[in-house]
Amino acid sequence: MSYIEVENLRKTFTVRKKREAGKLFREKEIVEALKGISFTVDKGELVGYIGPNGAGKSTTVKILSGILTPESGRAEVGGRVPWKDRKEYVRHIGVVFGQRSQLWWDVPIIDSFSLLKDIYRIPEKDYLNRLQELTDALQLKSFMRKPLRLLSLGQKMRAELCGSLLHSPELLFLDEPTIGLDAVSKLALRDFLKWENKEHGTTIMLTTHDMEDISALCSRVMVLGHGQKLFDGKLPELLERFDTVRTVVVKYNTENPKLVLPAGVVKDKKDDEIHITYSPVDIPTADMLAILQNAGTISEMTLQSENIDHLIAAMYKEMDL
Amino acid sequence: MNILNTFHLYVRSMGMLLKSHLQYPASFIMQTLAQLVMEGGEMLAVILVVDRFETLMHWTGGNLFFFFGLMSVSFYITEFFGRGVTGNFPSMVRTGQLDTLLLRPRAVLTQVLCSGTDPRRITCIAVGVAALIVGSNMSDVTWSVPKVLALVESILMSGMLILGLFLIEGIFCIHSVKSVELVNAITYGGRSACQYPIDIYPRPLKILFTVVAPFALTMHVPAAYILGKPLYGWPVWTVFVTPLSGAVVFTVMTLLFNRGIKFYRSTGS
Repeated sequence: MSYIEVENLRKTFTVRKKREAGKLFREKEIVEALKGISFTVDKGELVGYIGPNGAGKSTTVKILSGILTPESGRAEVGGRVPWKDRKEYVRHIGVVFGQRSQLWWDVPIIDSFSLLKDIYRIPEKDYLNRLQELTDALQLKSFMRKPLRLLSLGQKMRAELCGSLLHSPELLFLDEPTIGLDAVSKLALRDFLKWENKEHGTTIMLTTHDMEDISALCSRVMVLGHGQKLFDGKLPELLERFDTVRTVVVKYNTENPKLVLPAGVVKDKKDDEIHITYSPVDIPTADMLAILQNAGTISEMTLQSENIDHLIAAMYKEMDL
Repeated sequence: MNILNTFHLYVRSMGMLLKSHLQYPASFIMQTLAQLVMEGGEMLAVILVVDRFETLMHWTGGNLFFFFGLMSVSFYITEFFGRGVTGNFPSMVRTGQLDTLLLRPRAVLTQVLCSGTDPRRITCIAVGVAALIVGSNMSDVTWSVPKVLALVESILMSGMLILGLFLIEGIFCIHSVKSVELVNAITYGGRSACQYPIDIYPRPLKILFTVVAPFALTMHVPAAYILGKPLYGWPVWTVFVTPLSGAVVFTVMTLLFNRGIKFYRSTGS
């Protein structure tokens, strides 16, 4: 049995529309946020959950963290049903919302942590050990006595992470954790998540729009769109499917190389560089390289694959999201 | 054990919230003084009424001060300690802060209560206490143990009643109904109306404040007893029973509130 088991999860929301002229009541519109999602996650996995805005990512996280009750379907996390016995369930999970704070705004963050200790009824000794460990791993020491409102965005996120991990949850949900962070903070955050995952075997599920998060962290990625699961597998597999275009830039020592290209390949000359765009599905890269080599002596060559964000955009487009 | 633990959490939360209020000392002092002016103004209104009419039906000026003080003390102690319910909750629903509360292994209402205090009300409470003292002196109240107990119970139960009434607003918010004004009519409206004895009002208002928002039961019955006025011919023990209606309202509203939370979790927002 897997750690997280989700089967045919459904959730609909009723949205009240604006009242139209001439009608007495406002019309209601039913939005299907999740149309029967199924997946399993093993203990200690680090899973990325992506999809355009409104795909149902947050809804899934909210259901799995016990905030929302689904319409139908089954979900179990470590043998517990998230929406039953909420108080017992949430002891075992931690959630970080990238845009919502769970610490207290005007007090030093150490005070917030101490209050969280009481809220979660963490034994004093466990608390001190864990706090020490997280302080080191997240480098909180320099701003431990500062109130949250004075912290930079990166520091805030680190403090939030510490707050949501104090009670040593088995499962951590992160909802867009790197949103708005600078490069250094992002890297530090990813390193920390890897560390926490490895050191404590914490299962981590994160939703993000930042593909770098996924490629740096997640062994597995799930794509969600229109409330349905569209892909579940490794990131390279996902990319392979949509990575339809490659560009090779070659420079020749030879004057006027005799380049004979197969049909469907685009050639573009910029100064002495030749840009060749081809699809690895039609012509394997090895063949392409052979053709290029036969044409003359190569002085420089770079092979470019498409930017990961473009790929995702292409994927959303193809999946009609 | 559990209750003690919850109380401990509440006390610690309050301590922290006070600390955060004091982060802005100048603003805190200004606002506290502003509250004094506001509540002093309310008191002035009563003073003017007493000055002009001396008595209101069978109530003397001293009696009126006492009623005013009882309401002020009850209402502002409730706001002091229960600001989470009386002030913060609607915005918690709007901003999604309610979700964060649902992620913690504690009852939502406990956390809401732990989420707010309004120490600025201290000046209002002081005005109320002053009015109580002046009122009871002018009314020549001879204090006895039962009378003190009746006063304490009245304040406590009125506080619970006020919390219960504000919970209605919370319940409306959860169901994303914007009829807050309607609720204000019995919360803030109740405060303004019931700082005078209930029997000066016409019948519909009497019914409203006896049955729906029973300030008459939590405040006016014990007040009449303390001031030595006739209790509509009721025996004395009723003085200690009728205020319990405050606890009843609070309990009912707590149950409804918890059902509201269940509804929130099944519908989302």
